[in-house]
Amino acid sequence: MKTVKRCFLLLLAAALLTGCAGRSTEEVRRKVYFVAKSMDTQFWQAAFAGANAAAAEYNVELTVLGPETEEDYQGQNEYIAQAVREGAQALVFSAISYEGNAAAVEQAAQSGLKVVIIDSDVASDSVSVRIGTDNIEAGHMAASAVLDTDSASITVGIVNYDLNSRNGQEREAGLRESLSADARVEGIYTINVLTTPQAAQEGAEKLLAEHPEINVILGLNEPLAVGAAMAVDALGLEGQVRMVGFDTNVKCIDLMQTGAVTALVVQNPYAMGYLGVEYAWKLTQGESFDANELVDTSTAVITKENMFTLESQRSLFPFL
Amino acid sequence: MEKRAKGKGLSMNAVLMLAILSAAAAVLLCSMLVFLRTYRQSLYRSAQTNARRTISQAAGTVEEYLDDINKLMELLEQSLEEGETGRAEFFDTFLAIRPDVVAASTYDGTGRLVHCYSLTGSVRPGVTVNLSFDAGRMEDYRDGYVSAPHVVSLFEGYYPWVVTMIAPLDIPGEEAWVALDISCSNISSYINGIGIGQRGYCFLMDGRGDIVYHPQQQLLNYALKQEDSGYIAQLADGSHVAGSVIYTVQSLKNGAWRMVGVSYVDELISDSVNEAVRILIPSVLLILAASLIIGAVLSQTLSRPIHSLAEAMERFERDADSFVYTPVRGMAREARMLSESFGHMVQRIRQLVENARNEEINLRKTELKALQAQINPHFLYNTLDSISWMCEQGKNAEAVRMVNALAKLFRISISRGHELISIRSELQHAESYLQIQSYRYKNQFTYSFDVQEDCLDYLCNKITLQPIIENAIYHGINGLVDEGEIRVRVRTEGEDVLFTVEDNGSGMDQQQIQAIMSKDRSDHAGIGIKNVNDRLKIYFGSRYGITIDSRPDEGTRVTVRMPKVRQEAEYENR
Repeated sequence: MKTVKRCFLLLLAAALLTGCAGRSTEEVRRKVYFVAKSMDTQFWQAAFAGANAAAAEYNVELTVLGPETEEDYQGQNEYIAQAVREGAQALVFSAISYEGNAAAVEQAAQSGLKVVIIDSDVASDSVSVRIGTDNIEAGHMAASAVLDTDSASITVGIVNYDLNSRNGQEREAGLRESLSADARVEGIYTINVLTTPQAAQEGAEKLLAEHPEINVILGLNEPLAVGAAMAVDALGLEGQVRMVGFDTNVKCIDLMQTGAVTALVVQNPYAMGYLGVEYAWKLTQGESFDANELVDTSTAVITKENMFTLESQRSLFPFL
Repeated sequence: MEKRAKGKGLSMNAVLMLAILSAAAAVLLCSMLVFLRTYRQSLYRSAQTNARRTISQAAGTVEEYLDDINKLMELLEQSLEEGETGRAEFFDTFLAIRPDVVAASTYDGTGRLVHCYSLTGSVRPGVTVNLSFDAGRMEDYRDGYVSAPHVVSLFEGYYPWVVTMIAPLDIPGEEAWVALDISCSNISSYINGIGIGQRGYCFLMDGRGDIVYHPQQQLLNYALKQEDSGYIAQLADGSHVAGSVIYTVQSLKNGAWRMVGVSYVDELISDSVNEAVRILIPSVLLILAASLIIGAVLSQTLSRPIHSLAEAMERFERDADSFVYTPVRGMAREARMLSESFGHMVQRIRQLVENARNEEINLRKTELKALQAQINPHFLYNTLDSISWMCEQGKNAEAVRMVNALAKLFRISISRGHELISIRSELQHAESYLQIQSYRYKNQFTYSFDVQEDCLDYLCNKITLQPIIENAIYHGINGLVDEGEIRVRVRTEGEDVLFTVEDNGSGMDQQQIQAIMSKDRSDHAGIGIKNVNDRLKIYFGSRYGITIDSRPDEGTRVTVRMPKVRQEAEYENR
């Protein structure tokens, strides 16, 4: 009789346990913060669209933050602190300053946040995943667009942004590497400006005035590309100065049709945003990845010839 | 038969429990499998029906929208065919009430853009590429045409995604076209909003399998997601299950587009099935627990009474005398009946055993009494002969003692019918016998008594010593040349009384001893040693009785063991 009683109690306990377990498997909604470099360029808008798509798919509570200007790394640090304060489980981050954001990222990682870096890296060992363009390779691609010309001599002007920003420096390094290998290149001049079209336009005009032999000018991100293209357009240098830019902006596309813009190296911000949130979610589920291996998002070179193919339309004009 | 089949096989209790549990488990398992199968099938069906309904609604809405646009197109054609007057105003009003129309353009027979009416953008100087109208494809436009989504490339700083509708204008004498660029946002926001299940969605594709609009277009563009459009393109309208995905396809009325729904079996069905299993398992366990209870109750009513009955039988078998019958409790009528019958049987068997024993005792007693009533006629004759001889010789005093001894012998032999007499009387009886015999044998032997005083008042069977002494005289002393000696001793040993009769006669070998112990006397007169032994055993049990110790030419010692008996009643009626 004792064994019967014991069996009975065991079965009852098992029944109750499985009954309770049924209720405890409800999925927890993960809290992810996305701190971008800025809020309103076309590049970041596309990244946010991708991030939102992933947030909807993985049922993630996503908060998107970004400073006013692309120099305000302290503002970014404050947003990171805010994410920690408000109990986020993961941070998707694009660093304005390779060094300046490091402490804040370390702090966040120590507080238990999983850190996913997109687009632009930070000097920290606590990063779990890195997603973005291989910027050195993007520099090579820009260089081949620069070199795709019949001119016998090439002088290059580069409008670059903050010296501390990792991806800008990598792009320039890749660019210079390829250009130095070509005998036609006679000079490379760089100017570093604030990340606004106006500053870039002024910088480009200054560079063109100081070095009139420049026949190719580059803007290494979206606002700088717009500024450099506007400088070419404003100075009426279409056909004399070729312009190669990064990323896609309506202004650049307009100017590509007038001939002021020769080529655009278009990154994939939508994929960065999407993958950033997707990986953040995977990390909160306990998966782990090799942070030293970049998750590469595709990069394409758009010229006037291919700009209206269906593929180009889709990558140039976000389907919002 | 001593060793029972105990331990071998299962107890009835276990068998019952096992049977009930396994039956319950088997039934539950079967019904659960059947249920889950049907449940899964019905879920499949309802998932497919659901998907079909959603897709058909979505398709209906898109068709309606396209119809609406078609009507607009007809209106436009009419107005354009009527002539130039008031056209600009008409278009302003038209575009204001239809914000989804991005631009309305007219083209001449060569495909040149004649007019472009738009509220949102102005045509850039020097359009290089016009994605809305391809002069090389005019043949396709003749019967009305709906393009795949594309970007409007006419404006400066404004690149909306549109679908272009093109129709020929019926103006006599010239060839002309009208093209409407309709914003995709209406259709896209509608399609984006459609969900099938948790993750399911739908998209539009054209007849060749190219995707017209997909809510996750960007993911497809960057290969973050794949859609097996080759497979879907060859599917007929309806629901198709491919692996864990349900594709639901419906063609639109315009014939060019198909609405495709994608829903996931795993989330729609597996989740519900898992949920069902989660609910089912506790109830299954509860049912098993209930069957355990039922098993316990059954065993309480059936197997337990039988088990205790079996135990009682075993106890009875082992020791029938001290067995106490207690009725077995239990609810089953059969068990109660069995128990009652067993009770009756126990009583009956006891009675029978008792009867058998009583009959045996009675038989012995009767036999004994008959024997006691007899006096060995030779002994009486010889004794009387001796007395008569004494009288003749004038040995009156001796004759008187002889007669007295004979009288005492008879009186004690009869003892008013009592079986047990005091040891004192038994010793008198033995002495009288010895007196008579010593006269008769002319003092060939001497005898002596060595009696422990406290033994005298205990009781013993009458005529116990006499047959032994008789045996000592006939078989021991009779043939002896020297003077014989008979010693009678009585003493206690623990709770027993021991009588010993020793002689120094010729003794007996083992064969003779056996003969004496196993045979009734051959002359059928008087009481033999075997008879004494039997009586002792009947009265007091098997550990009492006679033992004979003898060696040829050395003498014999006969020992009688019996318990200390104080009252005749103690053993009389056993």
